[in-house]
Amino acid sequence: MDAGDRELFGASLHAVVAVHTGSALDAALDQLGWPEALASDPEAAVSLLFELQGSVAATSSALDRVLLSALGCEPSVGVVLPRLGSWAAPGDVSGEGVSVRGLGTAGLGRCERAVVVAGSWLVDVAVADLALRPVGGLDPELGLVEVTGSAVGAVTRAELSPATWADAVARAQLAVAHELVGVARTMLRLARDHALDRVQFGQPIARFQAVRHRLAESLVAIEAADGALVAAWRDGTPLTAGLAKALAGRGARVTAKHCQQVLAGIGFTTEHDLHRYVRRALVLDHLLGDARTLTHHLGTELLRSRTLPSLLPL
Amino acid sequence: MDLDTFRAGVDRWLDDNAEALAPAGVGHGSLDGAMAQLSKVKRLTFDAGWMRWGWPERVGGLGGSTLLRGYLAEAVTARDLVDAGLYSMTEVLAPTMIDYARPSLAAEMVPLLLRGDETWCQGFSEPGTGSNLASLSCRAARSDDGWIVTGQKVWTSLAQYSQRCVLLTRTGTVESAHRGITALFVDMDTPGITVRPIETMHGREEFCEVFFDDVFVPLDRALGNPGQGWSVAMDLLPFERSTALWQRGAFLHRRLGELLAAAPEGALSPAEVGEVFQQVYAFRARSLTTQHRLAAGERLGAETSVDKVLLATAEQAVFDLAAAGLADEVLLGDDPAAQRWRSEALYSRAASIYGGSAEIQRNIVARRLLDLGVDR
Repeated sequence: MDAGDRELFGASLHAVVAVHTGSALDAALDQLGWPEALASDPEAAVSLLFELQGSVAATSSALDRVLLSALGCEPSVGVVLPRLGSWAAPGDVSGEGVSVRGLGTAGLGRCERAVVVAGSWLVDVAVADLALRPVGGLDPELGLVEVTGSAVGAVTRAELSPATWADAVARAQLAVAHELVGVARTMLRLARDHALDRVQFGQPIARFQAVRHRLAESLVAIEAADGALVAAWRDGTPLTAGLAKALAGRGARVTAKHCQQVLAGIGFTTEHDLHRYVRRALVLDHLLGDARTLTHHLGTELLRSRTLPSLLPL
Repeated sequence: MDLDTFRAGVDRWLDDNAEALAPAGVGHGSLDGAMAQLSKVKRLTFDAGWMRWGWPERVGGLGGSTLLRGYLAEAVTARDLVDAGLYSMTEVLAPTMIDYARPSLAAEMVPLLLRGDETWCQGFSEPGTGSNLASLSCRAARSDDGWIVTGQKVWTSLAQYSQRCVLLTRTGTVESAHRGITALFVDMDTPGITVRPIETMHGREEFCEVFFDDVFVPLDRALGNPGQGWSVAMDLLPFERSTALWQRGAFLHRRLGELLAAAPEGALSPAEVGEVFQQVYAFRARSLTTQHRLAAGERLGAETSVDKVLLATAEQAVFDLAAAGLADEVLLGDDPAAQRWRSEALYSRAASIYGGSAEIQRNIVARRLLDLGVDR
């Protein structure tokens, strides 16, 4: 897409994401041609949709589509996501069949079949053979399901190289990282509006440097994540996707902390929207690897090799 | 000249001339040694043509994208051939001359800076004027054929080595604030200038006090028009936060790699190493976009404060980790390698002070990027 097409596509996405969520958003995205865009220009399709989705705390099955497309599967099936905090394949091939422990988006329950990556296999299973528990948890609106299964029979199975799984995870991490950036930008907007409106000591609290610097700190953290996302698309390796996911997770947490403080009492109530975004940020951070785990893993690798990778040539 | 050809050419040339370019000792030794090394590398790279790419032909350059000079700065830093902070003064001061000096003055002077024949300094801060730059009071009064400068500057990097100074002076009333400032290009050997180096805690006399006592500056040495000095300063700062910082990022990457190689087993925790690498990387990712915007001719502004905050944060994180992981060297060591770690760890404290303090950068982000209105 050139800049003009991109702007147009972004505006169309904005119009549907603003009014739809869940299965209605899935249908609207199909009508808009988002799946075709995902195939032809994944960077534009993923970055535009997921940042918008995060910015209004909408949900969809788009993450499944991203993962399925990277695994070379048709988009009509469901997919089991790695369990919380992890980017390891959710399945294991045991003697009797496949054991499964992972997560799914709300759309999984509406599918007849789902793919589970288990070791070096891409396994096709019947969703009816899996146990799905709708997750309430910290962010019930997100509509995740917990997926378990033991000795699940495979409808079909195909070999999958570890590199394909790593690339698929990378793509999905970028999607969630964009969503986190969208969530964080909305938290910052809510806190900024409040700082300008709220008057104490005869002036808007936005005049106080302590407040200004918290908001500035949030923007720096968001821009760091955003820059890492631009770089990761350019670079295209799992390493930089993981870096972007970690920076987005940390950036959203930093932003949540500062914005919650600036919004103070009202931001602690359910009468204000902030709590929805704080909840979303904390759960999305853990989806496909949280910042803390990714950082520890990265540090372990660096200490093992004792050399730094040279990334992002000018 | 496209970037890939340039990159390959520079890399090959640096390999072929490694011996001639190498510094005399670990960490370039004293400040005198580091300055001599810098001049040597600039002269050799200029004479071989590399240093001239990315600068306009009218000031002795060979033209081409600013990315070319960004890559050269990165390459000589990655190979530890120059001190990044000293080298980057060129990136800050040459663009100012190109944009604001009379064309003939720029054509005469800029090559001297690029080739390492001269060192220039930047006379901005004063004893009473730090973050509030618009309050400066070093006075320039008009005489028949020039300006008479009286006053004092401080934190003037490398003034004791400098042949020229880009000097901000007060030509209006003090109340005229940023409107009454004029930038002058001053020969440092003019009678009436006294330079006193200041010893810093990192062991280098890198900053100076500079005293001006009835110093005559010819009329044609004004940069821009009288009263335009604030624009000169504001246009210079984004360079300080773009090409110069890109090189500093390359320096941090090299030092973090050297720390990883040098730290004893068990001295560094995976969580810390991972996070510090992410910070260095986050700066590089951000700055990469900035370099490409600059090369595309975009006007850089307040958004470069984000780059500066990320760089300062990363620099302090790298050297906090070094101070922890190489505690023996940093705290007790006296060999050149240990002295270098110590000096750099101490200097990293200045990363959130110089070039607009951490607080000023956050004020800019709040005011200009978040549009939070005035703060007082």
